Amino acid sequence: MLKSWKLKEVVLMSLFAVVFGIIYLMFLHLGNVWAAVIGPIAYEWIFGIWFIVSIIVMAIIRKPGAAVIPETMAAAIEVMLGNAVGPRLILAGVIQGLGAEAVFAATGYKRYNLAVFMMAGAGAAIFSFVYGYLLGGFAALAPEYVLLMFVIRVMSGAIIAGIGGKYLVDALLATGSLRGYAITKRDAHA
Amino acid sequence: MRQWLHRMNPSIKFVIITISMMTMAFFFNPWTPLVFFFGVVLFQLAFAKVSWKIWGLMMLPFLLGAVGYFWTTLVFGNDNADPLGTALSLSFRVLAFSSLSLLFVFTTKPVDFILSLMQQLRLSPKIAYSILVGYQFLPVLKDEFVQIQQAQELRGIVKPKSPVKRVLTMRHVLIPMLAGAVRKAERTAFAMEARGFTGESDRTFYRRAAIGRTDIWMTIMFLALVLISIYAGIMGPAIQ
Repeated sequence: MLKSWKLKEVVLMSLFAVVFGIIYLMFLHLGNVWAAVIGPIAYEWIFGIWFIVSIIVMAIIRKPGAAVIPETMAAAIEVMLGNAVGPRLILAGVIQGLGAEAVFAATGYKRYNLAVFMMAGAGAAIFSFVYGYLLGGFAALAPEYVLLMFVIRVMSGAIIAGIGGKYLVDALLATGSLRGYAITKRDAHA
Repeated sequence: MRQWLHRMNPSIKFVIITISMMTMAFFFNPWTPLVFFFGVVLFQLAFAKVSWKIWGLMMLPFLLGAVGYFWTTLVFGNDNADPLGTALSLSFRVLAFSSLSLLFVFTTKPVDFILSLMQQLRLSPKIAYSILVGYQFLPVLKDEFVQIQQAQELRGIVKPKSPVKRVLTMRHVLIPMLAGAVRKAERTAFAMEARGFTGESDRTFYRRAAIGRTDIWMTIMFLALVLISIYAGIMGPAIQ
């Protein structure tokens, strides 16, 4: 899979993972404070932020793996920064990334518009929820409550990761620094 | 003895911790996660040098999270036979997972972890070294973050007071930072290639991460702890 990747694309992915890894950690602390008051549902509103690097990097590089790898890297960076959630974040990163990746794969890595980004955010939310269901023991909670958590998480994924990701990518594109990446080449044809 | 957890191979440690956590996820009685939690703390006491002050500080948010979990499960719990037991179980699970994570974080050097992932778990060198590049850039990016903020303040952009607005205005700093990251990535990749980095996996390593006898012993002990926890769950009295 990595054969077709240029080194500068892999390093770009990693540096984005660092920037977002730091942001992810900030939101993790924010979520922790909330969670003490209103329980695990506190994380659901802001869950979309944790999927955003998948969408941004995929929008720029447009190659298979550009959603799942940066998400995993961001999780690895979070662990390397020494946060207390530790190694299980890496697994969560892989799974969330795969959720977004699945949507891009379904389009054959050909469509990069807002609708696809929102679906990718929702896809990441669905995958991460299955993982959370198992590890968080959601089976012990009332089905209605779990459904509410699920709906909020999917909406957060579509809105924060999908719309937010699209917004950030457009703003970054406008700075002109992305010349030489797939995002500028393909858009010229469209 | 006091260094065993530090000496363990990071990949082995990572795999064992992941397997233990996945196993814990199938138990909904309070005793299994509780015994597991104490076991993990005991491991850190016996086989690691841990600053317990920092340990306590990092554990605190999870303790609060466990409280949140406890009452959520009590109020919104599924209708089952033992609501209190299940609620306790889920809160203890939060504690067990957190202590396990702290065990990893306190006893593993970040760079060793990535090197070991590449050597033992066959992570692609292209990815591994890119992560290390990102890790090295952390302090630079931190400085840049402050600089961009200061530059914007000089031009009269006022930092909003409310936390919600502060999150929304994060983009003012984020976009210049990302643009800078794109350029840094390009320069670094050129520099790596100029020094002969190909990303092929048949490379040699200056620092080798080996698997030793300590790894075998610790693996056995972790497995024993998981089994004891499960046993405690089966034998432990029901809450009620």
